[in-house]
Amino acid sequence: MTNTAFRRARSRRILAAAVGFATLVAVAGCSAEQEGAGSGGGGGTGAAEDCINAEEAQATYEESWSSVAEAFGLSELTPVEEEVCEVDPETWAAEPKQGDAYRIAFAAQGPTNSWGVLSEEAFNYHAEELGVDVLYAAANGDATQQVDNIQQLASQDPDAMVVVPMGEGIAGQVQAAVSQGIPVVLCSGILPESSQAVSTVTRQYDLLGTAYAEWIAQELGGEGQVAILSGLAGVPTAEYQKAAAEATFEKYPDIEVVTTQYTEWSPTVAKTVAQNLIASYPDLDAIWSDSGYGAIGVVQAYQEAGLPVPPITGDAVNDFLLATQGTDVRYALSTFPPEMSSTCLDTAMDLLNGEPVLNKVYIDSPSFTNEEGEQYVREDCDGGLLVPTSAPEDLLVELGMCQA
Amino acid sequence: MTAAPAAPTRAPSARLARISGVVAPLTGLVLVLVLAAVTTPQFYSLEVARLVMFQIGLIGIAALGQTLVLLVGGIDLSISGVMALTSVVLATYSAGSDSRLLVGVVLAVLAGLAVGLVNAGLVVLRNVPPFVATFASFVLIQGVIIAWTRGAPSGNIPDALGWLGGGRIWEIPVPLVVFAVLALVAGIALGRTTAGRRVYSTGLNREAARMSGIRTGIVIASCYILSSLAGVLAGLINSSFIGFVDAALVRSLDLDSIAAAVIGGIALTGGKGRISQTVLGVVLLAALLTWLIQLGAGGGAQLVVSGGVILLAVFLQNRGLGLLSPRARTTRATPRKGKQ
Repeated sequence: MTNTAFRRARSRRILAAAVGFATLVAVAGCSAEQEGAGSGGGGGTGAAEDCINAEEAQATYEESWSSVAEAFGLSELTPVEEEVCEVDPETWAAEPKQGDAYRIAFAAQGPTNSWGVLSEEAFNYHAEELGVDVLYAAANGDATQQVDNIQQLASQDPDAMVVVPMGEGIAGQVQAAVSQGIPVVLCSGILPESSQAVSTVTRQYDLLGTAYAEWIAQELGGEGQVAILSGLAGVPTAEYQKAAAEATFEKYPDIEVVTTQYTEWSPTVAKTVAQNLIASYPDLDAIWSDSGYGAIGVVQAYQEAGLPVPPITGDAVNDFLLATQGTDVRYALSTFPPEMSSTCLDTAMDLLNGEPVLNKVYIDSPSFTNEEGEQYVREDCDGGLLVPTSAPEDLLVELGMCQA
Repeated sequence: MTAAPAAPTRAPSARLARISGVVAPLTGLVLVLVLAAVTTPQFYSLEVARLVMFQIGLIGIAALGQTLVLLVGGIDLSISGVMALTSVVLATYSAGSDSRLLVGVVLAVLAGLAVGLVNAGLVVLRNVPPFVATFASFVLIQGVIIAWTRGAPSGNIPDALGWLGGGRIWEIPVPLVVFAVLALVAGIALGRTTAGRRVYSTGLNREAARMSGIRTGIVIASCYILSSLAGVLAGLINSSFIGFVDAALVRSLDLDSIAAAVIGGIALTGGKGRISQTVLGVVLLAALLTWLIQLGAGGGAQLVVSGGVILLAVFLQNRGLGLLSPRARTTRATPRKGKQ
């Protein structure tokens, strides 16, 4: 190679390296803007053309919003538009397909965290109370695994199926199971209408995201700088709540969302993120967080920096209440209770027994602020417990989550 | 006398290769620092400097272990598993009590040692590819943690350990001090001792090293064990940083440690690289990750950039920045034995 040719080749390589690096930076920038922007909306199952018992069903839905508004002392909390109807009780009423007891398939998240453990233990506990046989499959938090699980469970022809959805990718399998004549109840999560699930039992993401944002807006008097700390980019549980919060903050022109970060629902990551917030946004007025674990990391970071903790939100993890006990941290918490799985089972059983069931059952769980926090903290229980819990005490002791 | 003329050619080419290996990550670091100055001026504050230093400490300790394994031609994907195991063992045994800290740490070290021995046994005795062996260990550890804690790892880390993750010595985070000391020891051990030369020889050509009397199995096993112990130390630092078991402990430290070493110039094929290069890679990665957070980039963007930087580093390792003449590059490509 001549010197000129060699120089050209070298220039090309340097250019390639520079272009590569620039691409990475561009991708990072774009990702920062776009992560999570793709989700949102959706939710719930298809509304029937003739909405049965619409008025009563709608009132039940709105109740869950008004109870949170009352708990957070919000003068205004308008429910997002949602059509809730009753499922035709005749459609799915049936005798047990095999033997005397109903067989209910449970496509669970799996025991990947304390929420998952309590979700399935509460389900099994209630199934035993009702004398129902459970066909169980754990997805270990993986939607791909759950696709396989649902197929396997459906092949055993259960009387009904309860699915804790791990992602929208399972919608096709849910639809296939329903087409096969198995009533499917979605539990603690939502899927697109195309899944044709018969009923969805969950705590409404929009409600949590909106209520936290409204509480912050009220705390700030409608003006100030806010940071959003979401869970995992692209995960519906996180994205729906974040989208609801962003929509709410948009209503307040003097509230500026200065940054949106992801904490992976890990206090360690949240603490690192919060340390960065302290450095980058010293005038931050409030932090919207979808998770109590994220909030713990934030509280630690501010306390270690010797700064007052801005008003913060999250779910009511016992660890957070223990960490803020005796402090002047202002917070608003609610729960996404794992024990709602027993309501999911009840819904499936009501369908089989021909009882009236709503197509969307929005769980109403306790919400509270720092003023009531002391009464909910459980020093006798594990830090990962969501409080207050309606799970039976003997079950919590048996699971080692609380002391006898 | 055929070797005589080669010596003067090899010396400058080796020097050029060394310079090329340093220039690439150094250029990257300067680029990140310049971009940070333009896009996020607050990057140059004491608070952010402390964050970068903490990240250097945490990633660096894991990267030192990873470097040892890479130098013998392996890879360790179980480091973050060992970190999680350390956290769970310590919290479960000590229940947050300072009086049980010492035994808890000993148990965590023993658990890490066991993982290192399993990795070493699989790679050395059973010839399982390192990627498969250490990834299997990682999955196994996750399974053990889930089965042991019934999926709900929790508990407090003794307060007496708080200084390790949260302490400072003259404003310098303790993890960085620990990393600096370990890097110094590792650098001297690799560069100035017989044991270090054996590591390089084994990584360059295991068969040749064995035939020259080096017990390569022991060398490789030692590297895996040391890597696991580095994971234990990183686990202790991380858990004392937050004070209790983080059930979502999914820090991508495996990737970060590999990225740091490779960016610095440690060859994935083994036998090439210095601790100083790993240190440079760690500094670059820590600055990059902190800058990305300052920019508001999400976790996905951070992974994209980490992965992309590894690819870029490997590309530059193979092609260089063009600092070598073609002839010198040919010479460099010839396996060199012994001294690095």
